[in-house]
Amino acid sequence: MLFNSIEYLIFLPIVFIIYWLLKNSYKNQNILLLISSYVFYGWWDYRFLSLIMFSSFLDYFVGQKIEQAIGEKNKKRWLLVSLCSNLGLLGVFKYYNFFADSFASTMSTMGWEVNDLTLNIILPVGISFYTFQTLSYSIDIYRGQIKASKDIVSFFTFVSLFPQLVAGPIERASNLIPQIEKKRNLNITLIKTGVFQIFIGLFRKVAIADNLGVYVDSVYANYEIHNSSTLLVATVFYAFQIYFDFSGYSDIAIGSAKLFGFNFNRNFNFPYFSKTLTEFWRRWHMSLSFWLRDYLYISLGGNRKGIVITYRNLLLTMLLGGLWHGSSWNFVIWGAIHGLFLSFEKYTFSALKIKTFNAFGYIYTFIVVLIAWIFFRASDLQSASIIVTEILSFNYGSLFIGDINAFVNAVLLISIGFLIDLKIFRSNVSLEDYGVRFNTVKLSIIVSIIILMLCLFYSTAENFIYFQF
Amino acid sequence: MNKEITKKFLKIVVLTLLISYGLDKLVFFSLNKISDKVMTGQSIGKLNQFLSVKDTTAFLVFGNSRANRHIDVDMVGHKGYNMGIDGTGIAYNSALINTLTENKKQFILVHIDTKNFFDTDYEGADIRGLKTKYQRDTNITTALEKSGQLSVLQQFYYSMNYNGNAIGIIKNYFKPSYNYKTYNGYDPISVSADQESMRDIVLSNFASDKECLDNHEVNTMALDYLKSIKTFVEKSPNKTFLFVTSPIYNDTCDLDNIKLAKIMQDLGLEYRDYSNLYKESKDNSLWKDATHMSKKGAEAFSKLLAEKFKNSKY
Repeated sequence: MLFNSIEYLIFLPIVFIIYWLLKNSYKNQNILLLISSYVFYGWWDYRFLSLIMFSSFLDYFVGQKIEQAIGEKNKKRWLLVSLCSNLGLLGVFKYYNFFADSFASTMSTMGWEVNDLTLNIILPVGISFYTFQTLSYSIDIYRGQIKASKDIVSFFTFVSLFPQLVAGPIERASNLIPQIEKKRNLNITLIKTGVFQIFIGLFRKVAIADNLGVYVDSVYANYEIHNSSTLLVATVFYAFQIYFDFSGYSDIAIGSAKLFGFNFNRNFNFPYFSKTLTEFWRRWHMSLSFWLRDYLYISLGGNRKGIVITYRNLLLTMLLGGLWHGSSWNFVIWGAIHGLFLSFEKYTFSALKIKTFNAFGYIYTFIVVLIAWIFFRASDLQSASIIVTEILSFNYGSLFIGDINAFVNAVLLISIGFLIDLKIFRSNVSLEDYGVRFNTVKLSIIVSIIILMLCLFYSTAENFIYFQF
Repeated sequence: MNKEITKKFLKIVVLTLLISYGLDKLVFFSLNKISDKVMTGQSIGKLNQFLSVKDTTAFLVFGNSRANRHIDVDMVGHKGYNMGIDGTGIAYNSALINTLTENKKQFILVHIDTKNFFDTDYEGADIRGLKTKYQRDTNITTALEKSGQLSVLQQFYYSMNYNGNAIGIIKNYFKPSYNYKTYNGYDPISVSADQESMRDIVLSNFASDKECLDNHEVNTMALDYLKSIKTFVEKSPNKTFLFVTSPIYNDTCDLDNIKLAKIMQDLGLEYRDYSNLYKESKDNSLWKDATHMSKKGAEAFSKLLAEKFKNSKY
């Protein structure tokens, strides 16, 4: 089920009403949330529910075993069961074809022809997100940071809670399970901030991102015939498309969760207002970047083992972060670009003894992010290289406009989106808390204006970009 | 959730519904007022102009961007109007044809494309292009309701009728794109010198041999819209209908063309397929891209149509 669908418009109020009718028993509320979450997921493909159930059951069981195990060695053994099973599932569904194909290509270059090893595998929606969520649960128990859940319904709800099930935010067990295992309350702050964030998210996704996508798709589909100006504008549009698409999704997720009394962690914090790439990664897809930091970078040694190891860890973390997004060399290169520039910044900050760049840092960061986005968006490595080469050839001729209406709408909406971001950013109040500033009448007026904008500018993209990951 | 919270929540919901409903109507009726006066641009101007001239024009052309760019109604010899609109298919055009006055004597040229009839994904979504006239034109409203392409929310939020078009309408209201009184609906594409190299790359890359791998199963929805035109044809003996497919750069598969010709024959509709008219000619200057002819190509094609019609009952 998509957040921007009529189905969700019906689903959310029904679940909301029944949920609060069951307010006297949080356990009954959890059962409702679990069933609703499975309906939400099953709407896409009910067959893959078995995978979520399997993953949930495994980590529930392993979590208990890690906690009960006596001695470091036994704990580690059970942790390995969780790691191997979760990563194994992810590997089969997400990466098998990629590695099989890469293996065949490598063999072929060495003169050995290998039969086609790829399989017709469907990528289950959300597998990367809930796998990371369950992994963090097992690791946190192993590290002694949380206790294993004793309530199977609560744990299953933690894994599958519908607002964050298919595209995050990747919630930590330490934040979400305690909320699931106690009575929730709805207050006016949660309502205001939740409603505001849901509608801002819808506007970001349905109006801004989807309109930008029309132009981006038409240019990237025929990249070979476009000049530098057109490819540059399309890439800038893509930078905002993916931001408004994914942050819009996160806003709807976080806002929806608030209506059920849950506080999710923030996932975006105006990433394009960053003076360094390091800062960008503290603001972009925060639930993933902090996950990678806590469970990968720090596990590899972080910055505790000397400068060379630190750079290696940074690069490795970003390469794997890239690969998390999808089984393609484009994502690996995207991660490598980020890894290299993060290392460059680390070196520069340490050599010049500074903590950040000056105002030019905004431009530098945006340019690096923009170049990396080309690899993220292009269909393959070859097309990405051609696009980068063309943009850097400075062949700035007349701009391809395409459908004039769509182009003008895109420019208008990107401007509105940027101004809203700037206004909230300068207020020093997070978007998650911004709704509380309005009284009920003001909030209703703002939401009504957003509804009007949605009516006038909605576009009909089928999916959220991050669903493919 | 206690009583007080429930009350506040309901207050937000009710207020939002009321304010958004009022705001929606305010914007909708304002846009109605403005859009009625707009006669230029593809957002609504061309449709408005068509609705105002459709019953006083002897020759009308319907179709997609290829019809719009390929048929110079003045050259074909009749004083006419080209109602070709980008991105439209048989659903949109069927709805428009059904707005015509049945007994009026007219020559109607309907441009159709084989792709439209054998595209398994085609759902008639192009009819949404007429939504600006929903609840404002009886025939179009009926066609839209029958199509099932409107959102259920459209019954509550009328401004959805102007989705994607509002800025274009406002722009054309304050600054018309052209003088509509001298506009015949035909929009040729001139290829500038710096676009020629890009065009040549596009044409060299164009190969459509995969088309023949398909089994070319006819899309039943497209066929139903075609049948709806046929019903109108039967009700309008004073009108002469001709269905045409204009040239394409390199149509390497003719199975779909043969199938479509057979369908047209079975329905008793007059059909001329010019897909391969310039196939042997290697003159790139006739083309803008693989599906659209340049102004030069369109003029050559319109001239040919005019000559053919001169020697026939048309």
